Amino acid sequence: MSDTPLLKIEHLTKSYRDSSSGIEVLRDLELSVEANEFLCILGPSGCGKSTLLRCIAGFEEYEGSVKVNGREEREPGTDRFMVFQDFNQLFPWKTVLKNVTYPLSINRKGDKDEIRRLALEALEKVGLGNFANQYPHQLSGGMKQRVAIAKALALGSPIILMDEPFAALDAMTRSGLQKEVLRISESEKSTIIFITHNIQEAVILGTRILVLGQHGQILFDRKNEMERPVTPASPGYGELWEQLHQALYEGRLSSEL
Amino acid sequence: MKKKESHLRSILIRVVYVLCLMAIWEYVARSGMLGPRSALIFPSLEQIAAAFVKNFVRGYAGTSLWIYIINSMKLLLTGLAIGIILAFIFSGISMVSYTFRKIFDFTVSICDLLPGIALLPVVIIIFGVRREVIVFLVVHAVLWPMSRNMLDGFSSTPRIYVEAGRNMGLRGMRLILGVYIPAAASYIVSGLKSGWARAWRGLISAEMIFGIASSPGIGLFINQMRTNMNNAEMYATLLVIIIIGVIVQYGILRPIEICTVRKWGMSK
Ligand SMILES: Nc1ncnc2c1ncn2[C@@H]1O[C@H](COP(=O)(O)OP(=O)(O)OP(=O)(O)O)[C@@H](O)[C@H]1O
Ligand SMILES: [Mg+2]
Repeated sequence: MSDTPLLKIEHLTKSYRDSSSGIEVLRDLELSVEANEFLCILGPSGCGKSTLLRCIAGFEEYEGSVKVNGREEREPGTDRFMVFQDFNQLFPWKTVLKNVTYPLSINRKGDKDEIRRLALEALEKVGLGNFANQYPHQLSGGMKQRVAIAKALALGSPIILMDEPFAALDAMTRSGLQKEVLRISESEKSTIIFITHNIQEAVILGTRILVLGQHGQILFDRKNEMERPVTPASPGYGELWEQLHQALYEGRLSSEL
Repeated sequence: MKKKESHLRSILIRVVYVLCLMAIWEYVARSGMLGPRSALIFPSLEQIAAAFVKNFVRGYAGTSLWIYIINSMKLLLTGLAIGIILAFIFSGISMVSYTFRKIFDFTVSICDLLPGIALLPVVIIIFGVRREVIVFLVVHAVLWPMSRNMLDGFSSTPRIYVEAGRNMGLRGMRLILGVYIPAAASYIVSGLKSGWARAWRGLISAEMIFGIASSPGIGLFINQMRTNMNNAEMYATLLVIIIIGVIVQYGILRPIEICTVRKWGMSK
């Protein structure tokens, strides 16, 4: 492992200008993420998880620094690709295939045929090869989220940011997509930062799990070395679940003070 | 299946309605119930049909109605093209510059309220009696509603599209072309519709008020029919004006809508 981590966040402080109290949503946050990590972030509602991800993605202004491979990044870029929670993140005026090829052609990731091949391959990986020529409004919510993931895959973004991408889906679809993301994270060389409210989801997916408290304070940060695939029957599952639950509970208590 | 049935039915209703209107017209025309002016106000359908053909074959002053239509359309299309392009350019710049947006927004609000025909005297002073006057009025008719719709469309672009666009590396002008404009498609389509409607009306009125000999249009034609008391020809020209309106509405605007916002599931 090299000395510079893939993603290094230093002294990250963020407050929203228009918020009434002007309090710091994130205060002096420090975090390093290594390549190929699957980092799951848990935390009580309003603790600043989405804010952290949006700072990393470059959508927000902040103090401190976010470095990718040692280089400071302040603007959005394809090296940090965001999969939003909102199903409407696809462009309705483009077909599924065009939605995937578009970022590739903007960023000149090859000639036309090459881009098409990459996009179709990514769509195959998320099981939507047959829907390439449909328009987003013809897809279900879960399928749209898969297309969004395919976009990130085709681009080959080193860091994929996911903000509760499955939160609004039913349990069945959700567990199917978890399996897909897991498979992808194991076969592709990408680093995923995944926000969730669901402890089980974090334990199943994460190779490292973080619990944030008030002001983005890190309450829990541990590698998850359980053998994959993790199921509730895996040894150590109950223990980890209990610890996370405890940390979350503390986080909630502290944010209610 | 059901949809097709109701579609057929709505066509049937319209056909029957039009046939009834024609029957009433013909009855009034033949009965002479309006006294001596009856024949003037209600020429029989046969006369109108004959006039319709005559308009195209003989025309007026030795020039077929076709030529008048083509003259009008040239001015109309020039004006529409200029107006639409300007609307795109100004609304685009508005997204980049805050100051420009405030100024342009204000300008649109004022000019949108100003009937083009009221500007006619001023424009004639500036341009003289030339075809540019009509082009100017058409530009005026289309530019403001189009810009108003585009500005509204841009400002109501969902934040998620903008962020998704920035996320894939779009900035500035490319963000406007790649995200703001397509996201505002339904607004642009309604801008086109109201812009066209105003431009078409404005064109005919302007041509009626001052027909230019160098470029005689449909408005001039219908006005000449009135002064010469060729009433059947006048009605026939009205029909032509309606037919052109229908062709643009259903032959151009509707297909544009179907190929864009309908297909993308973005109808407002
Ligand atoms: N655009 C904004 N303007 C002002 N305040 C904001 C804005 N976005 C978020 N906040 C505030 O920042 C705090 C953190 O919000 P954030 O969305 O990051 O929380 P979260 O951890 O993602 O919560 P959840 O789990 O409910 O999604 C909240 O108190 C919220 O009110
Ligand atoms: Mg959130």
